[in-house]
Amino acid sequence: MTEEAAGRLPSDQDECEPADTAFDGAALAGASFFLASCGGGGGSGSPPPAPPPSSAPPPPSVVLPTRQQAARFLSQATMGASRADLDQVASVGFEAWLDAQFNMARQTSHWDWLVSAGYATTATINSQAGFDPVMWRQLIASPDQLRQRVGMALLDLLVVGIDGVNAPWRQFAVAAYVDVLMDNAFGNFRALLQQVSTSPAMGYYLTFLGNRKANPATGAVPDENYARELMQLFTIGLVRLNPDGSAQAAETYTQADITGLARVFTGFVLDSSDNSTPDRLRRPMAINGAQHETGSKTFLGTTISAGTSGADSLKLALDAIFAHPNVAPFVSKQLIQRLVTSNPSPAYVGRISAVFENNGTGVRGDLRAVVRAILLDFEARSDPVTPSYGKLRPPIQRLTAWARAFNASSPSNSWSIGDTSSTANRLGQSPGRSPSVFNFFRPGYRPPNTPIATAGLVAPEFQIANEPSVIAYVNYMQALVANGAGDFRADYTDILTRAGDSAVLVGEVDLLLGAQLSAATKTSIAAAVDSIAITVANGSLSRVYTAIVLTLASPEYLIQK
Amino acid sequence: MTDQSRRAFLRDSAALGLVGSATPFVMNLAAIGEAAAATATDYKALVCIFLYGGNDYANTVTPYDQASYDQYARLRSTIAHSRDSLAATALTPQNPLPGGGQFALAPGLAPLVPLFDAGRLAIALNVGTLVQPTSKSNYISRSVPLPPKLFSHNDQQSFWQASNPEGASSGWGGRIGDLLQSANGAATLTCINASGNAVFMSGRSAVQYSVTSNGPVPLLNNSTTLFGSTLGMSTLRMLMTQQRDHMLEAEHSRVTKRSLDLQAQVSAALAAAPALTTAFPTGNTLADQLRIVARLISVSQELGARRQVFFVSMGGFDNHDSILTTHPTLLTRVGAAMRAFHDATVELGVMDRVTSFTASDFGRTLTSNANGSDHGWGSHHFVMGGAVRGRAFYGTPPVLADNGPDDVGQGRLLPALSVDQYGATLASWFGVPAGSLTTVLPNLANYNPSTWNLGFV
Repeated sequence: MTEEAAGRLPSDQDECEPADTAFDGAALAGASFFLASCGGGGGSGSPPPAPPPSSAPPPPSVVLPTRQQAARFLSQATMGASRADLDQVASVGFEAWLDAQFNMARQTSHWDWLVSAGYATTATINSQAGFDPVMWRQLIASPDQLRQRVGMALLDLLVVGIDGVNAPWRQFAVAAYVDVLMDNAFGNFRALLQQVSTSPAMGYYLTFLGNRKANPATGAVPDENYARELMQLFTIGLVRLNPDGSAQAAETYTQADITGLARVFTGFVLDSSDNSTPDRLRRPMAINGAQHETGSKTFLGTTISAGTSGADSLKLALDAIFAHPNVAPFVSKQLIQRLVTSNPSPAYVGRISAVFENNGTGVRGDLRAVVRAILLDFEARSDPVTPSYGKLRPPIQRLTAWARAFNASSPSNSWSIGDTSSTANRLGQSPGRSPSVFNFFRPGYRPPNTPIATAGLVAPEFQIANEPSVIAYVNYMQALVANGAGDFRADYTDILTRAGDSAVLVGEVDLLLGAQLSAATKTSIAAAVDSIAITVANGSLSRVYTAIVLTLASPEYLIQK
Repeated sequence: MTDQSRRAFLRDSAALGLVGSATPFVMNLAAIGEAAAATATDYKALVCIFLYGGNDYANTVTPYDQASYDQYARLRSTIAHSRDSLAATALTPQNPLPGGGQFALAPGLAPLVPLFDAGRLAIALNVGTLVQPTSKSNYISRSVPLPPKLFSHNDQQSFWQASNPEGASSGWGGRIGDLLQSANGAATLTCINASGNAVFMSGRSAVQYSVTSNGPVPLLNNSTTLFGSTLGMSTLRMLMTQQRDHMLEAEHSRVTKRSLDLQAQVSAALAAAPALTTAFPTGNTLADQLRIVARLISVSQELGARRQVFFVSMGGFDNHDSILTTHPTLLTRVGAAMRAFHDATVELGVMDRVTSFTASDFGRTLTSNANGSDHGWGSHHFVMGGAVRGRAFYGTPPVLADNGPDDVGQGRLLPALSVDQYGATLASWFGVPAGSLTTVLPNLANYNPSTWNLGFV
């Protein structure tokens, strides 16, 4: 019997009674979410939370979450929880953990890791070598987990996929782009737009690198690609939105607005002709005045006067787009969808939009304030009561959650997980490998002809869930759990100490993977574990593998609630 | 019939008015069962080839007579095919186009030229999303409803496939399936997608079933044990497919159950089928998908399927840039893949029973942005198969212009033929009764019934 099973502690009911004190008073308005907020934190059959550490007693006003509540929070806020993460949240509470994460300096950048790992050579100029390793490594091994999760949410919104970046050293171009997202994950959305719009990777991806002003001799006009997707996908969307994210009938722009804005994105070039190193791929694009449109540029009711420089035109254009009232609900709702739930209530979206509009000190677009508000909102924190709450975990997060829960690492630093895009024998999704600027899944995806659609709900991640991919995921994870990939492997030392008691084992696995299993499911998994005698060859490992794979395959786990 | 297809039959028979009120169902059902057995060789398949990204019409089906070519080359001087490069793919229709007009296929589509010449390939000109017949003045004055969110990829893909923008809950391939799935032994094998998920393939009752290019994926190679335990394996299957109260969990279980339920049957049928001798090109994902479609058609009888709708796709057509290098590569793959698929249907003896057609988000501008083209609207499309009335163009060649009578600026074609008419023509061949066509394609009701069938198949 493990020490955990031995140390039964106060029940969840005892612990969660005054949970509202940790949150905003607005929580009281959301009665339906609140009434059940003490319901499902533990669930019978799960192991009780470990005793709180004796050091550093929390301030008395903070109500500490249970381990189960911490696990659920970390499913929303990280790429996966390690035991240490769980203990940390449970010992300091949500807000202090968020502060620590917000204040944690950016760790090794993607760019620097690629350089240090030796990928900046002429041998890699025409390959993608290093890209999958650098992406997986940071998601799994970097301690700035909130930044990783928010950065990946931003990559779902401001999409670049490496296959669409036709650059020499494209792995460096995309690495630099993901660094921009990670660097700005807690910054201001306007500043992020500036860096995204001058990123060489984006210039390649949405084809405005090399875009030229109209040429009367050939009849050629500026490329409209970035102008369109900047507005449609990255900032304002196609229809006017209310602050709560609900749609109005009016469309936000016309083809004439696209044509007008396209004139801004002309003259963009790499800032150096030195192609002997990847360096220019991490510096903002420059604007060649000779190819920048000199006439006036009219869009969204704004006119940039003739003769305005490229840099000034870009600033004015981004200011105008950023000022659009759609930006707050458009970005806020999608961030909620990426972190918490596919179908947030309009009131939830409205509360976050309000924070986007004003962080409390008059600043608009403060992503740190937005992320904090999303994760501390009562709709995120109180136990879900509606049978549609939550979201399908995207396959990338299932892999990283397993890896972080069981201390996976790559001693050789090769991180040879590779491209996991195959729907036939991998995950059907791979970081930084979206097939188009429309991402792996759309925020408005409605699985057709399903009760979800009938209910008027969306389920974005179901766009990549189909008959082959749901099976391929289990096949792939079964092999990865047991064998790893190259020298990328889990370290099961800790969990093996629990292998002897199936209930304890299953409880711990469930806790590490988000604490979502029902008592009935845990009982079923424990019975399967007990069908393997610990005394047979590799019995302990097989019991651990069984508990993990059955959890990872269970719909209760797959839907993050 | 399985339970599901029987239920589908009863519901759809009622919808179609086939179930006589005086006839007890059971007798009717028995009669239909016999009829089905008697016509077991009656088989038809529709294959939708979706070119994601918005295919550039002008460099796919290119004006070739000198006057038209000159106008084309003037309007997109930096991204035009050379006229010489088109000589080998110039098309000679059965009946010459009025005014001496000629078209040539992109050079990469050369494998399709013999099919055109043999009357197995037709070209529908300027097809696109519409709500109702729309003139340019209607467009300018917005005096008729237009498809919402024109020029937006995801929404126009959806409108093409489903008559509604993103968020649509069924598509016309699936709605055809609704009406005809009762003919199949397993209703779930009616709408088969070889490229993931697409709203096109979901009906109001018909569900899409997705396969990889190698067919279904077996769970853990159909192992009977998980880490040595049979209970582990049975628990795995139980958990993956268990009925859940939570709406999202339940949907995941449903997809998984469908996958596991059908895998053994479909894989076994595929394994038992003779290998196709037709060579499909390699390194061509569209060819990979069309190959599994051909293989599935080859076992349709074993699987009890008489009416099937398939969906395949290829991405990369959003050629804002590098159109002279990227687009020819893509079309070369399309040409090789479609030709191989056609040849496979000949090998299987089902050429007359399989009709394939292309679709895409939208066409593109005729004018250039220096090295690419931008989002447009109407486009030209291919219909291929032995039942096709080929070696012909359907519709009218659009006037080549920048803001001329047939375009809404920059050569973005205002569609003259609607997707609804295009779809209705295909659906009619497939066996959808005239009275049900507006169920499949609701906006068809805005058209004069005499124009519903474009006549290409």
